Amino acid sequence: MARDPKYDILFEPIKLGPKTMKNRFYQVPHCNGFGSEKPFSQAYFRALKAEGGFGGVATEYCSISPESDDTHRMSARLWDDGDITNLSLMCDMLHERDALAACELWYGGPHAPNMESRDVARGPSQIPSDFEYLTYAIEADKDDIRHLQKLYVDAAKRARSAGFDIVYVYGSHSYLPQQFLTPFYNHRTDEYGGSFENRARFWRETIELVKEAVGDDTAIAVRMSTDMFIGEAGTQLKRDCLPFVELVDDLVDVWDINLSGIAEWGEDATPSRFYPQGRALPWQAAVKAISKKPVLGVGRWTNPDLMVEAINEGKLDIIATCRPSTSDPFLPTKIFEGRLDDIRECIGCNVCISRWEIGGPPLICTQNATAGEEYRRGWHPERFTKAKNADNDVLVVGAGPAGMECAMILGKRGMRRVHLVEAQDDMGGTMRWIPQLPGLGEWSRIVNYRKIQIDKLKNVEFIASTKLSAKDVSEYGAEIVIVATGSYWATDGLNGASHAPIPGADASVAWQATPDQIMGEGKQLAGENIVVFDNDGYYMGVSLAEKLAEEGKKVTLMTALGNIGPYMHFTLEAPNQHRRLHKLGVEIVPYHLPTRVEPGAVIAAHVYDEEGHEKPFAADGVVWVSQRRSNEALFRELKDSIGLEQLKAEGVNALYRVGDCEAPRLTADAIFSAHRLAREIDTADPSIPLPFKRERRLVEASDVARERAEYEASLAGATAV
Amino acid sequence: MKTVVCVKQVLQLGDEVEFSDDGLDVDPDYLDTALNEWDSFATEEALQLKERLGGEVVIVTCGGRGAEAALRRCLAMGADRAIRVEGTGRDPIAVARGLAEVVRGESPDLVLCGVQSSDSVQAATGTALAELLDLPRVAVVAKLDYDEGAGTAVVDRELEGGLLDRVEVDVPAVLTIQTGINQPRYANLRAIKLAEQVEVDVRQAAAGSQPAYRVRRMFVPLKGEGAEMLGRDPAEVARRIAEIVQERLA
Repeated sequence: MARDPKYDILFEPIKLGPKTMKNRFYQVPHCNGFGSEKPFSQAYFRALKAEGGFGGVATEYCSISPESDDTHRMSARLWDDGDITNLSLMCDMLHERDALAACELWYGGPHAPNMESRDVARGPSQIPSDFEYLTYAIEADKDDIRHLQKLYVDAAKRARSAGFDIVYVYGSHSYLPQQFLTPFYNHRTDEYGGSFENRARFWRETIELVKEAVGDDTAIAVRMSTDMFIGEAGTQLKRDCLPFVELVDDLVDVWDINLSGIAEWGEDATPSRFYPQGRALPWQAAVKAISKKPVLGVGRWTNPDLMVEAINEGKLDIIATCRPSTSDPFLPTKIFEGRLDDIRECIGCNVCISRWEIGGPPLICTQNATAGEEYRRGWHPERFTKAKNADNDVLVVGAGPAGMECAMILGKRGMRRVHLVEAQDDMGGTMRWIPQLPGLGEWSRIVNYRKIQIDKLKNVEFIASTKLSAKDVSEYGAEIVIVATGSYWATDGLNGASHAPIPGADASVAWQATPDQIMGEGKQLAGENIVVFDNDGYYMGVSLAEKLAEEGKKVTLMTALGNIGPYMHFTLEAPNQHRRLHKLGVEIVPYHLPTRVEPGAVIAAHVYDEEGHEKPFAADGVVWVSQRRSNEALFRELKDSIGLEQLKAEGVNALYRVGDCEAPRLTADAIFSAHRLAREIDTADPSIPLPFKRERRLVEASDVARERAEYEASLAGATAV
Repeated sequence: MKTVVCVKQVLQLGDEVEFSDDGLDVDPDYLDTALNEWDSFATEEALQLKERLGGEVVIVTCGGRGAEAALRRCLAMGADRAIRVEGTGRDPIAVARGLAEVVRGESPDLVLCGVQSSDSVQAATGTALAELLDLPRVAVVAKLDYDEGAGTAVVDRELEGGLLDRVEVDVPAVLTIQTGINQPRYANLRAIKLAEQVEVDVRQAAAGSQPAYRVRRMFVPLKGEGAEMLGRDPAEVARRIAEIVQERLA
């Protein structure tokens, strides 16, 4: 189908200083866990977005010096010529796909923990980081400032050598230039602190130096946060940012405008729980109004109508995305081809970001199981090989996220017939009701996207309202059976803290309930006081606490963990979720494990109280968010009671399980496991994942001799003292 | 108890449509096929009668070889036999003529059709068939009570506005079955595979099955001018709608 002409503006080229970008789709800097040290993973990840139509693609934050080393988190690095070599692969692959390559030069100041380099960063003032603890910087004197500016210039030259078209002097997320600009970080009294002119000096000078060094043939980008949401001390749009735009507009080729500091950067990478797409537009429009240069900005854009509106209303020139470009690297192509219902829309869950926050692992995506797997597993989100055993018929039992993913990918791999059979009257499983939790409406995109795809696949048939017994399955007539029956919340309080049920816990009684019962079956708890016991650690406990509090209950949220919903710290949802619960009057009781429950009370003890003093908490009702268990009855019956031999006699040659039915996990991981099985359905043993390529240094014989010699040489002349 | 169910393999449009070079039809590359939704309910109703009363369910269609997929789907659901009358399957009167001869030859106790087909939506075949067979007919049946030997069936026919009209009809009769009358069963893969092996009884259509209409041109209706976008703020949109309605009423 042809592109709707109303989207034409999105495909118009735009000049960025000495460079021209082919359209208005740009992937802003965002982390992926690959950096400069996994160059192939990095290059293939970024190149796929260029293949999908993005006109410009950036690295993640790219450290300019070992004194700004973010380990345990993974940044790119341009410390030396080796990094040039590794990042040039990404540049080459982007250029082959007609996209511009951008590099975000980063210096963290007091936020850089330097856990690998063991160096120490310099910053405007000696105040420890508000993001890390135990992390200080050297308060920079004038020589240090010259040194820092030279680091930027040298890194900019290395970036140009690597092939980058756009070089950032990155100053948002509370990193060095923003620190100088912002009184919260800058307590100086010399010409680099105090007045706006003085606070802007470091950044202005640095932009001038970088421009002078590489600006003749490289576009200069400035990323600026326009509000930290911490009042007067934080960066302010009118006081700091708009004057800064006026000050350096002539030097800058493209503005990248966003929000937040680093401590609460969920105000920038907004979870859908709290903000809709385009949330930063008022700030971006304010910069656009006074700048003569193109302005780009993030907004978790997935809706082309809103993209066009932002450009036509003069608020943005370029649609910048991180998460939506990971969820669907082919977002531009699908808009271009008029295939809007094929867009795999970002749900704003931020599990991608959680991996960076955890520090180290590659990013993952709930919607796109291939994200991060481009190189190491060779997965392409839009292209599929026909399965070698495509002449088989497949039965997938259970149409939750994993079952849907599995049926969809098997359909795309051309299996003769795929039957997706579900006990409920529609697809979705628990993901039918999870989006009804407060703020999680956009998570319904998980189900919607797959439903639309499955409907289009002629070889996949969905059968609703049909609960299959093990006998039904064995006689179904499928050569391959995949059980995707999901998981359920424990009804007896079984949990990872005590590894035992909680005495008195029993969700079959009227005054106790599990999330499945409350959300899936509509079970209501009578009375005023509700205790939610959450030892899951992610969104379920806090979401139910919020829901019940909104319904007027007096809610106590208890956990044996040190904090409620600790994983939500990694998804950047924690700060605003705490605010919500606080506003609703939810009482938070960490480090407490119920020892027993009885009508009217949950009796609990502090987990570090060696004498186990018990304390009652008033409870007319109790909600158990203690742990999940796989719904594996059908799988066990097929494998153990009927047996693989008998199944074979019935024509069932293979039996697998995917998703929560194996082990309850993040939705992203449940979907991944289903996707993985479908991708590898024609291997020797699909139940065991194929090995993935690991980017590591392999020791070669010649290395050994040389490294040994170098080591010996380094010790030459050293004596034991 | 013998029930004959007349079914149709319908054409389904995808997102994109192109017409054939002569402009008289949709390019088959852009079409998918399926058993007509109404006919799956008719088949299920017949299967439930058979389960209760015993006997046989015979599926009949009028169409080309491709239409056999619809027959096989019904066989996979549990029908006993399938007959295809060679024909185009397009014109409802011609189809009814093609079906009539075969249905008459089966001497069924009951004839079920779907209310309409999802592709041509004329709701004519069942009624035409009843006329040709000289049988009583009830259209848009939402409930069927039938007992062997009673000589009549009691059916609820659906009227506009959610109303039902309960009527007693002499049998044999032709009933056109509405969706929702039951929950059509699924066919498992084994049944689908078995149905693939069944020989379909193919008959030639009676002479004189001339189409009652012809296609002169197929085209996408032109978009009209003057659509007014009312903005995005729901309150504002509601206010404008109220204004427009009042303007038009005045």
